Amino acid sequence: MTGGRGPASAATPIGRGVVRLGLVLLVAFAILAGGAGYWQVVRSADLVGRPDDPLLIAAARNVVRGEIRDRDGHVLATSKRDKNREPYRVYPSMAVAPVIGYASRQFGTAGLERAYDAQLSGIRAADPVDELLSKFATDRYRPQDLTLSLSLDLQKEAVRLLGKDRGAVVMLDPRNGEVLALASTPTYDAGAIASPDADTAKAAFATVVADRDKPLLDRAIQGRYVPGSVFKIVTSIAALGSGAITPDTRFTRQPQAEKNGLLVSGFRIRDGHHPFTGSRALDYPEAVEVSCNIYFALAGLATGGENLADWAAKLGFGGPIPFDLPTASSQVTNGGGTFGGGFADDVELANAAYGQAETLATPLQMALVAATVADRGTLMKPRLVTRLSNKDGATDVGPAVWREVMSPEIAAEINAAMVRAVEGDEGRLFTPGAKVPGVLTAGKTGTAQLDGSARPHSWFIGFAPADDPQVAIAVLVESGGSGASRASPIAGRLMARYLDTVAK
Amino acid sequence: MDPIVATIWLIRILFLGLLYLFLFGVVRVLMRDLRAAAREPVTALGRLIVVASEVEEPALGTVFPLDAVATLGRDVNNTIVVDDGFASTEHAVLSFRGRAWYLEDLDSTNGTYLNGAPIDGLASAAFGDEIQVGRVRFRLERAGT
Amino acid sequence: MTAANFVPTGIGIGPIRPRFRRRELGLLILVGIALTAGSVSLGTTRALLADGTLVVQAADPVRLAIFLGALGVAHLAQVLAGRRTDQVLLPAVAMLGGLGLLLMERLPQDQAGSAFGDSLGLAGVQLLWLLIATGVISVLAIVVRSDTWLRRYKYTWAAAGIVLLLLTFVLGEESNGALLTIRVGPFSGQPTELLKVILVVFLAGYLSEFRPLLIDESTRLGPLRLPPVPYLLPMVAMWAIAFGIVVIQRDLGAALLFFAVFLALVYVATARISYVVIGLILLVLGGFAAYRLFPHVAIRVDIWLDPFADPSGNGYQVIQALIAFARGGLLGTGLGAGLPMVGGTLPIPAIHTDFPLAALGEELGLIGVLAILGLYLVIIERGLRIAAAAADDFRALLAAGLALVVGVQAFIIAAGNLKLIPLTGITLPFISYGGSSLLANALVVGLLLALSDRGVEAPPPPRRSRSRLDRLLHRSAA
Repeated sequence: MTGGRGPASAATPIGRGVVRLGLVLLVAFAILAGGAGYWQVVRSADLVGRPDDPLLIAAARNVVRGEIRDRDGHVLATSKRDKNREPYRVYPSMAVAPVIGYASRQFGTAGLERAYDAQLSGIRAADPVDELLSKFATDRYRPQDLTLSLSLDLQKEAVRLLGKDRGAVVMLDPRNGEVLALASTPTYDAGAIASPDADTAKAAFATVVADRDKPLLDRAIQGRYVPGSVFKIVTSIAALGSGAITPDTRFTRQPQAEKNGLLVSGFRIRDGHHPFTGSRALDYPEAVEVSCNIYFALAGLATGGENLADWAAKLGFGGPIPFDLPTASSQVTNGGGTFGGGFADDVELANAAYGQAETLATPLQMALVAATVADRGTLMKPRLVTRLSNKDGATDVGPAVWREVMSPEIAAEINAAMVRAVEGDEGRLFTPGAKVPGVLTAGKTGTAQLDGSARPHSWFIGFAPADDPQVAIAVLVESGGSGASRASPIAGRLMARYLDTVAK
Repeated sequence: MDPIVATIWLIRILFLGLLYLFLFGVVRVLMRDLRAAAREPVTALGRLIVVASEVEEPALGTVFPLDAVATLGRDVNNTIVVDDGFASTEHAVLSFRGRAWYLEDLDSTNGTYLNGAPIDGLASAAFGDEIQVGRVRFRLERAGT
Repeated sequence: MTAANFVPTGIGIGPIRPRFRRRELGLLILVGIALTAGSVSLGTTRALLADGTLVVQAADPVRLAIFLGALGVAHLAQVLAGRRTDQVLLPAVAMLGGLGLLLMERLPQDQAGSAFGDSLGLAGVQLLWLLIATGVISVLAIVVRSDTWLRRYKYTWAAAGIVLLLLTFVLGEESNGALLTIRVGPFSGQPTELLKVILVVFLAGYLSEFRPLLIDESTRLGPLRLPPVPYLLPMVAMWAIAFGIVVIQRDLGAALLFFAVFLALVYVATARISYVVIGLILLVLGGFAAYRLFPHVAIRVDIWLDPFADPSGNGYQVIQALIAFARGGLLGTGLGAGLPMVGGTLPIPAIHTDFPLAALGEELGLIGVLAILGLYLVIIERGLRIAAAAADDFRALLAAGLALVVGVQAFIIAAGNLKLIPLTGITLPFISYGGSSLLANALVVGLLLALSDRGVEAPPPPRRSRSRLDRLLHRSAA
């Protein structure tokens, strides 16, 4: 036999391999098609309108953004044109800087300018059909103006009252959730960051970023603070709501514990002695009036960790609050504990019940707690933007109930106790300046003890008029000392101003 | 709807539609092609193509699908009839056994040639090889698909 | 007279006589109508955006007409040549090329970046290369009637390829962090594009010759049945070359393309899954080593894993491409209406070379992307059909390899655009801007067309290398 032919090439036809190769490539291209479908259809809505969408960036450079105005029509943000006829942003008042943020050519956007970037630059039109058409419209962008529920007057006053301190004020209308003031100090010069002059903008931005007081942090919604005694209102809602206590409940251990400390699982919880009432067991309204820590520790233990965590969650703790701006989550505990509700043990629960331990809350969260009591147990969704409008028309953002937290009866009990905390013979000593002259006022102070020897945070939450609540407030002054000394007077002044001006 | 917008939409959708019309046309051609391929006997193990012929049967370009055994010769009872005076009545057998093709000369007068060389009895063949019987030259190829 | 003296006549080429190509003509007419509609869509949108008036007009009727005219001439040439070549490939390629031309027409014209570019603009240069590519396809499809020049000189081709590769290593100019371009006088080109064709030619020759030996199973490694060790060497060499391309040339895409085509062809030739397994293991090992050792590889992989980690830096282009896809949605914005410019520049700098699919995805939508993917599948199908019907192993492997080169390259860059695999800087065949890419792919299509003709000169009788058994027998006989 010549040539030595290997028969193998005839034995395994190449055709089979070719067919399999074809199938593999077919599958590969099917995966490509799936990938395209994923990005173009499934994820399309997430990606379009991202702050780094070039459509928005292009719009930011060439489009005159919509104006932002307060509830009285005062301009909070508007646009001017530079010498090249390119628009830039102007902010008349520094008091609103943490809320409005900025829209800068160099440094992007922040605050409402960021959250409503698409609407302000007009990329996302009011309704989807319009959006479709606007792709070919001759003026492709239809910027919308924003109207806020904010009152520039109250906002300025809040910032003035906070003065040089770091702090925050949240005021809202408990009946409809409209935010009236959302102050955070220190503020910053947003106009300089948005300046058309690149060097001015760069210098302003560098200053703000380097500032150790962190003006870019909106303390009202992003700052998380130990709440101290203002958290007792949350414990009240949980204890009364779950039926663990009634307004008449007295704890017989309480007077003695004020002297010797309350022994919980071998751990001693101490409280200052209340000179007027220390010798007798208090009922619930008295405990609120004199802010008795022992009473609330015992009430918290009676309520149980799970109930406390659940009722706090109803009020918004444990997650971001749905709002026009990004909010930080408030918490009653770090979680992970086995005691119930995520508490580590009953010591933590007892301390958390009067606002210490691992409890942290944003001023907005505490304002919502006050507003819920004021609104007879109904928690309205907080909102800042009440109207989007342009020449084609307007869309109003109406009030919406977020949650029904508790019954009107229980809310009325807490309301009455909070009135005593401001108006009662003993209560008024703890809350000087909180009373709105001539108006029945409800409230609660807080003095948040911090680790070490740092001055405590000063808190106040409240509402007025207590018999027909129109405004709820939370005031926080970082390291402001006791609630009585710093926060209460600010709250009283602001609520009075609201009732004198805006509400009239 | 704004007539301007409507017009542009129409043109856009028309373009996309035409893209698909084209794809549809292509797929129709491909399907026709595949159907034609499917009509070819799928059992064929290979095929013989006439690459040179000086006689009328078989003519140049004729394709013979191959089964496991194919006989070549002048007699009409052969699988492949080679109507040539130079071919014997029973000239050669091309068979597929196990994993290989084998070409066997049946003691023909003029011999059977594999790639231009006469074979001595049995020889193994492979695709691409050329087989000559009489004045007809075949090429052994793989079946269509 | 014996039959052995018989001299065959009329083998192969018969007298040349025109043969009508109805299907090709029909499909080309459809291509013309569709591209005209696309051009009108672009032109009308552009006019509207410019001055707000509705003027139904083509974007650039002259360039479109020149391109369609060239296609007509190519068709006519094929008809006159009278060969029975494939009738689908040219229209499919013409459609992709036309889409590329429309895209270049639509992009800012100042990105051309070459000596001619400044005067011709992006679309002008692309049209020029499309014309040359059409010419190359036609000439190859008509003239190539024998493949001996390819199969006989496989080692010469391999040597030429290696020289080309070394030239790139030494003379390559850096662009986007990769050594891709060789510049000679005013001309510049990307040799890897040509290299991929050479690779396929060499592999087809090598594999068809050594197929029997590669199928031989004489080494066992655990559950894997391996061929004799010496025949594994090309696989290792191939892996080393791919790795070298990654390391020295920093061209991830080309390395991936070469290695994938190599593995697929070995599989087709041997039907041994063990080769693919070994190859994939080598690929994973090499990829992992490259990831750990070379920052330019690590960056690409990290971007792929989470581009949103650095949205304004490393992840910028990838995110912008994804946003472009997302803006397109199902139906797209329409040609000319997408791709917003910021400060006079596009958000994706390399859109005409690396991200044409993202651009088309935005303006033609998911529908358009699916059509483009479909067109690539058609080209692959034709190539594989030609392979399946080929007369011998060399041609089958050559056709399959050529189809693979187009298909795998399209897959790698499309998957990179869609964040399915790390992004690499290779071109989208027939659509991307660039002469090297268009010419190399024209070579591929031209060869496929030539191979599709069943009347091609018969392949030479196989010259089989002897198996070891044979050699043994021969030695004992001697």
